[in-house]
Amino acid sequence: MEVWLRTWAILWKDILIEVRTKGTFNAMAFFAALILFIFSFAIGPDFDLLRRIAAGLLWVGITFTGLLALARTYHSEELAGGLEALLLYPGEPRAIFLGKLVGNLAVLLLVEVILYPVAAVLFHMDLTGKILPVAGIAFLGTLGFSVIGTFYAALTLHLRAREVMLPLLVLPLLVPVLLGAVSATAALVDPAAAGGVAGWVRLLIAFDVLYFVVCTWTFPVLLER
Amino acid sequence: MTELTASPRLKGWHRLLAFLAVATTVVGSIIGLFVVPPDAMQGNVQRLMYLHVPAAWLAFLAFFIVFVMAVLYLIQRDPRWDMIAAGSAEIGVLFTALTLILGSLWGKPIWGVWWTWDPRLTTTAILLVIYVGYLAVRSFAADPERRARWSAVVGIVGFADVPIVYLSVTWWRSLHQPPSSPMSMAPSMLWTLMLNVVAFTLLFGYLLVRKYQVAVAERALEDREAMR
Amino acid sequence: MAADPALRLQGVGKRFGRTWALRSVDLEVQPGQLVALIGPNGAGKTTLLKAVGGLHRATTGTTEVLGFTLPEDEDMVRVHSTLLPPHGYLYEQLTGLENLRFARLMAGVRPSRRELDAALERVDLVEAGDERVGGYSSGMKKRLAIARLLLRPVELVLMDEPYASLDAGGIDLVDTIIGELRGSGATVLVASHRWERAIREADRLVVMERGRITWTGTPGEWMEKREGPADTRRGRSEARGADEGDTGTGG
Repeated sequence: MEVWLRTWAILWKDILIEVRTKGTFNAMAFFAALILFIFSFAIGPDFDLLRRIAAGLLWVGITFTGLLALARTYHSEELAGGLEALLLYPGEPRAIFLGKLVGNLAVLLLVEVILYPVAAVLFHMDLTGKILPVAGIAFLGTLGFSVIGTFYAALTLHLRAREVMLPLLVLPLLVPVLLGAVSATAALVDPAAAGGVAGWVRLLIAFDVLYFVVCTWTFPVLLER
Repeated sequence: MTELTASPRLKGWHRLLAFLAVATTVVGSIIGLFVVPPDAMQGNVQRLMYLHVPAAWLAFLAFFIVFVMAVLYLIQRDPRWDMIAAGSAEIGVLFTALTLILGSLWGKPIWGVWWTWDPRLTTTAILLVIYVGYLAVRSFAADPERRARWSAVVGIVGFADVPIVYLSVTWWRSLHQPPSSPMSMAPSMLWTLMLNVVAFTLLFGYLLVRKYQVAVAERALEDREAMR
Repeated sequence: MAADPALRLQGVGKRFGRTWALRSVDLEVQPGQLVALIGPNGAGKTTLLKAVGGLHRATTGTTEVLGFTLPEDEDMVRVHSTLLPPHGYLYEQLTGLENLRFARLMAGVRPSRRELDAALERVDLVEAGDERVGGYSSGMKKRLAIARLLLRPVELVLMDEPYASLDAGGIDLVDTIIGELRGSGATVLVASHRWERAIREADRLVVMERGRITWTGTPGEWMEKREGPADTRRGRSEARGADEGDTGTGG
């Protein structure tokens, strides 16, 4: 009970702050769409090619935008004086992780709500009748991304050169998530793509569960001062 | 704080370890280079395997030790576990890099390219990046206690990724071509390989002991500087 | 033998990178005592309070707080103690009320509006309760932090620079609050650069310098020592550190 109240406290507070400084979210979503545009220019107007690599381009866009969002995970605490601001109160430290995780997940999913239609238009991805499965894959991938990212954002918070360290640490770990999300999405939207979806879904679920447990379990270690 | 001094008893057996490591490495190399016949298909290039496979084994062993030491450190908070983890990670990165270089040297004549997205090669490359990250975290954290804590976490989370990365890369490749299968080997080749694995493991053990001793000395110096 | 001390520190040291913020600090405080910590910036007062409150883990030594051992019982110590941080730890995009509500939720309690209003009233902030903290003056922020401190009744209260950036009314308020806390039987540790009433009337004065406790006694003894003709430079410089400036940044 107390854990959920604390989780809710973090989430509620971050949502309020995010809404009151909404410029950041808009800029982030715009940036994400811009990346997809740049890809189209870099690759050229070959629609067969674009359609074939659409899932990959889309997830590279999500990854870059996601890294921006993740770096801001503890921004409100930094302004308030540091992660210590959350240690003034007794209670389960893992609730802090849960609250921040749900917040990051929500922000990324919102970005994707904008990004998927843009990608569908730019890359001629056919999403009709496949919206639910595609959204499911996006959710599983984004969850894994957010778990790892929320965790490492706390770790790199007080590290020198953290702008570089966050992607350096997070990207190699996310290889299975990217492979899974891209391959499964491609298999769904591109009839010519090889491979099934079920295996990748199982892999994404395994990744999400494993890292949710490992990161939740070790998170208190990152809060020690 | 725990008093950090290398036990004097260590010196006797680490000399023995050094001798065994050098001796088996020399014998293993000679047998691998001159005694065992060359591979029927690949010729002399195949001899790289006697280095490549032990190096790859060591890389995984080293990172497994980092993982175990990280868990122990987080439970007991004894700086010695952290020092062993650090030493093991450095040696592991070295051998991972060696594995990749040997793999691509072998790949050039056999596959005709320096690099291919073979699942094992790809996983090893990702492994290298993960543990370079581990070493980077260590170098960017000034406080020894924080450094130990943060790197322990990186060591645990990173190691958990290894099987998933391997699995995912294998599936990803299998969409396009079957993964390279382990070749069947003549008994003489297998024995030479085993000998080299033992030699490399001894070498690893010796390097780790030395690394640990250096870490203890460095830590003592760091502590003394901080006391001023 | 008296009851267990509220605080027992033995050889406590805290290291940040290459520097030691605390070096082998021994301190015992009996329950219900008011202890004042003074000393120049960088003396280790803030680090000591954070170590006692379970926010910092000591590098060396043993720390027992209210019968709990740190760091093992960190959370129990946090349950029974509360800290007034020097920098507030307030969210500027939230209103005063929202900041208090957040503090209650984080402590695992769903607060009633009445409870939060009462807390604001206590520090004279009712009118500003619905304004964002970003628009507060530094004195108002300090008052809000004090209101947050009082939300949870606890046995051990740690205050870091409570007087900093407050006007005369605010200083009186802090003195009154410390008096009430004392009356309720709580143990209170106050680190301050300012020689206000609660410091003058403390049961014990602890002087810190460069991470060490250099002197303990009563405030009266300290004044005598400081003004006595026998003691010259050193005593004076410490005393100056004790009553000069209210920059709000503790050691």
